[in-house]
Amino acid sequence: MLFFSYFKELVGKEVTVELKNDLAIRGILHSVDQYLNIKLEHTRVVDQEKYPHMLSVRNCFIRGSVVRYVQLPPDGVDIDILHDATRREARGS
Amino acid sequence: MAAASTLESLVDQMISVITNDGRNIVGILKGFDQATNIILDESHERVYSTREGVQQLVLGLYIIRGDNISVVGELDEDLDSNLDLSTVKAHPLKPVIH
Amino acid sequence: MLPLSLLKTAQGHPMLVELKNGETYNGHLVNCDTWMNIHLREVICTSKDGDRFWRMPECYIRGNTIKYLRVPDEVIDKVQEETTKTRTDRRPPGVGRGRGRGSADSGGRTGRGAGRGQDDGGRGMAAGRGRSGLGGRGNIGRGGVRGRG
Repeated sequence: MLFFSYFKELVGKEVTVELKNDLAIRGILHSVDQYLNIKLEHTRVVDQEKYPHMLSVRNCFIRGSVVRYVQLPPDGVDIDILHDATRREARGS
Repeated sequence: MAAASTLESLVDQMISVITNDGRNIVGILKGFDQATNIILDESHERVYSTREGVQQLVLGLYIIRGDNISVVGELDEDLDSNLDLSTVKAHPLKPVIH
Repeated sequence: MLPLSLLKTAQGHPMLVELKNGETYNGHLVNCDTWMNIHLREVICTSKDGDRFWRMPECYIRGNTIKYLRVPDEVIDKVQEETTKTRTDRRPPGVGRGRGRGSADSGGRTGRGAGRGQDDGGRGMAAGRGRSGLGGRGNIGRGGVRGRG
């Protein structure tokens, strides 16, 4: 649940999602669900020259299972809160 | 609480699906379920190649299994109609490797 | 509409199933379950490269090996008929509102069907995928054989 909660905190921020087919999509995080499926708005493919496959897509749903990385905004992590949450999760409480 | 991350808002809209085997299928989303299985009506495949522009193949009514889906994009029909697919050349997308 | 309801409605209809390994199966759907396991009859299996074929009287396919299913266009209208029927059954009289495809709409479908022919031989492998199978309106054998050419 930790990552689900964490991503929910990032809603509204700009992230770049790199997929397991090497496609990287940048956009505003709109929502996340329990499978870590991600919805992005105002999307732009990072290398449009190489990947023109989503030229007319501005909002998209990315299946959690194909996500390789999510690049976070620099101000996207509050280390202290994350530490606490991680310890709590590890204790299972 | 974030808005639920479902495909509900895309029902009856034109969507562009990228599958795990690298295909791009465009059609109208008629339904979906928890597993991201989807129903695509009036669908066609956009075949990308580096030698010629995008070719469209008519497919019809499809049920695509969720575990074969990478991305479901909402197709902006204005943007799409301004796009001259016959001039778009690209390598086909790579398949997803888990 | 749920994908599995559409699949259930497609019972008795011809369909094309592509598996994750690239093989395709053309046959009539006998039954399916909530895992998308399916039972087909009068099946033609086509190899990934599209140049080998096997005929079999019936086969079972485990749901999680499926990539996608192609079902005849008209099946989606039958699902809607059923859901609208149950919905209006439940609703008090006079409140029901017409929804779904009118006759003009089905006219559009016929037009689209004719347009489908262009897809034949569009791509070397395309025929191998058995796309033309359903276009042949029930003659499932033909799509496969054309793949050889």
